[in-house]
Amino acid sequence: MALTKSLRTLYLASYNWILFFGWLQTLYLALSALKKTGFTSVYAAVEKPLQVWQTSALLEIFNGLAGIVRSPIIATLPQIGSRIYITWGILWSFPEIRQHWLVTQLVLSWSITEVIRYFFFALKETFGWTPAFLLWLRYSTFFVCYPTGIFGEAGLVYLALPYMKNSDIYSLRMPNKFNFSFDYYYASVVTLLSYIPGSPHMYNYMIGQRKKALGKGKKKSH
Amino acid sequence: MWVTVKSRSGREIIKGAPLELSDDATVDDLKKAIYKHTKKYYPSRQRLTLPLRPGQDRPTVLESGKQLKDVFEKSNSGEVVFKDLGPQVAYSTLFFWEYVGPLVIFPIFYFFPVYSLFSLPPRKTTHPAQTYALLYWTLHYAKRIYETFFIHSFSHATSPVSNVYRNCCYYWSFATFIAYYVNHPLYTPVSEKQMYIGFISGLIWQLANLYCHIILKNLRSQGKGGYQIPRGFLFNYITCANYTTEIYQWLGFNIATQTVAGYSFLIVAALIMTNWALAKHRRLRKVSYVVNMIVFLFKSTNLCAQSIFVMSTRRFTDELS
Repeated sequence: MALTKSLRTLYLASYNWILFFGWLQTLYLALSALKKTGFTSVYAAVEKPLQVWQTSALLEIFNGLAGIVRSPIIATLPQIGSRIYITWGILWSFPEIRQHWLVTQLVLSWSITEVIRYFFFALKETFGWTPAFLLWLRYSTFFVCYPTGIFGEAGLVYLALPYMKNSDIYSLRMPNKFNFSFDYYYASVVTLLSYIPGSPHMYNYMIGQRKKALGKGKKKSH
Repeated sequence: MWVTVKSRSGREIIKGAPLELSDDATVDDLKKAIYKHTKKYYPSRQRLTLPLRPGQDRPTVLESGKQLKDVFEKSNSGEVVFKDLGPQVAYSTLFFWEYVGPLVIFPIFYFFPVYSLFSLPPRKTTHPAQTYALLYWTLHYAKRIYETFFIHSFSHATSPVSNVYRNCCYYWSFATFIAYYVNHPLYTPVSEKQMYIGFISGLIWQLANLYCHIILKNLRSQGKGGYQIPRGFLFNYITCANYTTEIYQWLGFNIATQTVAGYSFLIVAALIMTNWALAKHRRLRKVSYVVNMIVFLFKSTNLCAQSIFVMSTRRFTDELS
């Protein structure tokens, strides 16, 4: 039992440290590109690291399912799903929109959030402790990063729509032996619409989590 | 018999003096008295429990039919914790609304030119599979409605109104999803042989399912409430054989019609029923369930594969329910 516990800690600590440095790298590349050549060059500078570190987050679904972590996968699935969708289904699939300034906004929002988040978990797994300031950061930066990130995501999907319609990409037409059809354009429109109720929901969820996380601290110090 | 009624937060529901009831009053009498007093909370909306004792993680629910003096520690007074379950509907109402949607929606896609809404031309030729699918599907849901009113015997059980919205979303959405593809102008049927195998085996499983429901209904008419273990027919080998027959019946439909929509419905329905059956199986085993039973569905290898699949997705569906 103790062995499984140490293995679990080792696995989670490694995972979180690797991703912390991965996103730190992404953030650094984004900022240097921004400074050196401006926002149109940000995507090209971060593409590979962004794809690697964002896709690695799929492991978190596995962790939740296997019970290695306690997060409910019903909350992590839509989060990770939308990240993968944007990274591969929008940015990688439609080069036409990569130079938009929304990409910079998106990459910065994501990387700042992830750097803080993974650092938090890495420290927790390695030392069993996190500094109060980091806890505060984790549950406060979302006030800015969620709206900027969400706006970035929705905006980029919207910008990609005309290119989807013209290319007929990722779609399955009838007739076929599965008697199934899929239209990527309409699916994206529906996804975009889901951001309307989805975003306030996620935002409020984080506010709730913040109360739980920071509220405890307040009680203890009194 | 004096009864104090409080909410879970400690607030007194019946303000002033405790309720006065006769010494051999039952839980139902108490609920009626609470209803009379509060005017809002009719009995099926009330969930009464004893106060949570230290060490318990779930409070004891007061069951219908029991006498209060047997439930309380003291024989002449007690305290109950009240929970409002919200507006309730009868199970038959819930089932009716769930099933009437699919019953109506499928024929709409078959008979009416709805595909013009999707900029598609109307069906040029109707495949026999599509007509049989219409008959099979409407028979299935007509059967379900018939069973709701003439076969199933519900106890006092009611369901929150919110379940009507939730369940109707589930049934009606899947019905639309499946009806759209089966009745599509560009629908591709399977071979005639496969179609017949699908529909005919499906019909046989539907008959078996009806028989299972009759067996279950007769359990209740044998008197006492509580858990009665069904016997006879498939119930000798399978817990929740009614779910087994239902799942295989849908499999028949899908073998015959072959749509992603239909198969996805089969998978979701099977997952839901598997969860219910596992819970039922666990409950029955606690009530010293001697006969060697296997949890409903498939035998040996299939069961293993299925259990592994279900275990890994259980957390997902648990959170959904």
